[in-house]
Amino acid sequence: MEITTTHLKRCDVIALKGRFDSSTAPDLEKAFRASIDADAFRIVVDMGEAEYFGSAAIRALVMAYKECRRFNRGDVRLARVPERIRHVLDLAGIAPLITIYEDPVLAVGSF
Amino acid sequence: MTEEYEICVTSQLSRLAQISEFVAGRALLAGMDEDQAFAVQMAVDEACTNAIEHAYEGHGDGEVHICCFVEDEDFVVRVIDHGKPFDPCSVPEPDVSTPLEERQIGGLGIYLMKKLMDDVEFRFDQALGNQVIMRKRRRA
Repeated sequence: MEITTTHLKRCDVIALKGRFDSSTAPDLEKAFRASIDADAFRIVVDMGEAEYFGSAAIRALVMAYKECRRFNRGDVRLARVPERIRHVLDLAGIAPLITIYEDPVLAVGSF
Repeated sequence: MTEEYEICVTSQLSRLAQISEFVAGRALLAGMDEDQAFAVQMAVDEACTNAIEHAYEGHGDGEVHICCFVEDEDFVVRVIDHGKPFDPCSVPEPDVSTPLEERQIGGLGIYLMKKLMDDVEFRFDQALGNQVIMRKRRRA
């Protein structure tokens, strides 16, 4: 599992690689928390290299989504979501609410 | 019923990757396709997370058993722990149609297990402990 955060002018890009299950979701939560604590409320999550995204990771994502959108100060947008993970986000009722881009560049440009 | 394959791991979240690898491997060998194997390993991952976090309350010195077998057209996985009795009815089902801002935390793991598998059954008995029995039909 790897998390790489890149600070851009428009937003933070958090790139995920590998498995995000209950043992690694706390690291994801920390990465979101670090951006939010630095007042970076516009976040793109690049999931192109993510292999697995369980309910604990979904909870971390929802936490970040709520925090970032509070007071209209930002948003969390997803890019390159693998098909199987997208299906899980669909089941969890999240896919229709979070904007998903094929291309991370477009996701960044959307802010 | 065919042969049963089992692994037993300590009740630590760091073992989830190993459990997933085992279950996905068995599902593929049982003739499931990649998407089905992914669904099964995700359901098992959530069941084992519940066993570790709730039944064992995060204590890493318990054991979780995962058994896989094929029964008729079903690929069946049993997850067994000896932690405190787990009552799935105590977990409210999340309403996935509400806005995310109002969404309650929790209950998502069990909800996903039920969605990903064709059948999920919870049992508890003093001798055996908690048992989650999950079935998914193999695609013809």
